[in-house]
Amino acid sequence: MESLDDSPAAPSAPADAATGAPVVSGPLVAEAAAMASAAGIPRVQVEQLGMRFGTHDAVIGVDLEVAVGEVVAVIGPSGSGRSTMLRCINHLESPTSGRVLIDGTAIADPGGREPGPRELAALRRQVGMVFQSFNLFPHLTAIENVMIAQVKVLGRTKAEARTRAMQLLERVGIAEKADSRPRRCSGGQQQRIAIARALALEPKLMLFDEPTSALDPELGLEVLAVMRELAKEGMTMIVVTHEMHFAEDVADRVIFMADGRIVEEGTAQQVIRHPREERTRKFLRAVLDR
Amino acid sequence: MFHYIGPIAHGIGSTLTITFAAYAIGLVLGIPIVVARSSRLRVVRLLAISFVEIFRGIPGIAWLFILYYGLAQLDVQISSMTAAICGLGLIAAAYMAEIYRAGLRAVPHGQFEAARALGMGTVQVYRSIVGPQAFVTSFPPAATYVIGLLKESAVASVIGAQEITGVALGQQQEASTQGLSVFLAASAVYLALSLPLAGIARYADVWLARRVAGAEAA
Ligand SMILES: Nc1ncnc2c1ncn2[C@@H]1O[C@H](COP(=O)(O)OP(=O)(O)OP(=O)(O)O)[C@@H](O)[C@H]1O
Ligand SMILES: [Mg+2]
Repeated sequence: MESLDDSPAAPSAPADAATGAPVVSGPLVAEAAAMASAAGIPRVQVEQLGMRFGTHDAVIGVDLEVAVGEVVAVIGPSGSGRSTMLRCINHLESPTSGRVLIDGTAIADPGGREPGPRELAALRRQVGMVFQSFNLFPHLTAIENVMIAQVKVLGRTKAEARTRAMQLLERVGIAEKADSRPRRCSGGQQQRIAIARALALEPKLMLFDEPTSALDPELGLEVLAVMRELAKEGMTMIVVTHEMHFAEDVADRVIFMADGRIVEEGTAQQVIRHPREERTRKFLRAVLDR
Repeated sequence: MFHYIGPIAHGIGSTLTITFAAYAIGLVLGIPIVVARSSRLRVVRLLAISFVEIFRGIPGIAWLFILYYGLAQLDVQISSMTAAICGLGLIAAAYMAEIYRAGLRAVPHGQFEAARALGMGTVQVYRSIVGPQAFVTSFPPAATYVIGLLKESAVASVIGAQEITGVALGQQQEASTQGLSVFLAASAVYLALSLPLAGIARYADVWLARRVAGAEAA
């Protein structure tokens, strides 16, 4: 049984998951990233992304660029391919066509050179993901959830990881739950732990897949408050959501998807208040007029 | 019946040795088998499935005969204890692989995704996230299996191992009785071993569920 507190001391250098060999791509990727943002390369480039399940196209020809520090909200009806698009961005799903670049480096490129397992893991470390169903690790306490990747993936010492984890739990307002198991936390607390867990790797991009959909409205507010803070601090974020107020207040850009395609995009004012497309209007009527 | 218990108790050491050594083989060997079952290579998957189905399908008694006398024919001399441990160990590995597989399948897909999204590689995902959770689910059936194995170890008597049943058979012949009291005594000894084992298993299960799975404290 592996608990954080009785596993052997962490290696002092980041070690690769599968082989235990030191990761060479870490600093190189960071360097590439620094050069990328200096050169004005977008944080995320999605080019002609396509994802087909059997004979069903979940995502078709999606193009999207997200600048450093930009917050993009993705709205749309159920089954419109938003989750699939988001999951292709950190390669949890392997797209069937197109490309996804993070700071100019391909994380998914089915037609060209796909990153190897090591490179992929190194790229994923820069992309935090928050799921609708939290997916916290139930066998670990809140603070261990936030520590584990720091120790196992970044190779930080347990003491370092604990200090950092505590700061993050304080930042999301649940320091008092540090030693509780996820099961003993409310949904809102769990989602905030999940955000802290993702932030622990100091990602350059955060992906949120309906982070408040499984929560009571009030608990959802706690989570949205944390996300607002993050956005204010300049985090680059892509947020799949039904929270129109959040999209209006926080998002620099809103994207409306339907049937696997981007139907309309623009500022929140344009897309939510003055939609051009009939498909968007129909969706917004259903969301706003209830 | 009671005066048989003394001699039969001499078989306890061998019974426990066969049981726990075979179980240990099963616990360890079950892991590569379950890994092989989800290999990308078809041949490897097929080999793993064949292993499981063969060793779950052959009665222990037949397999020990085949192993012990088969090896003897090939001029490989091993003791009946070694044959019993290895033979039952392979069967245990087949069962443990299935128990692990059920445990792994019980871990929600979201756990794999969350771990991979954090940049963990396959080995780390299994070692730090999925393995510990699968272990908790695997524990009750694994504990049930070890109690079954304790009884199954009786088949070692057919190749001459002097474990509880082997000793009892000897006593029966010596006393030229029909063996009712001998086997009542042997059964009492088996029960004396399995009941505490069951108790420990139940206690460990509750403890694990609380410590590792994070279930509500009672
Ligand atoms: N693993 C999969 N296998 C087969 N089809 C899938 C899979 N994942 C998604 N799909 C299909 O792809 C389409 C898009 O799904 P996706 O989950 O991306 O939609 P969504 O916009 O996130 O909607 P919601 O989350 O509200 O259901 C749906 O028709 C869905 O059934
Ligand atoms: Mg979705």
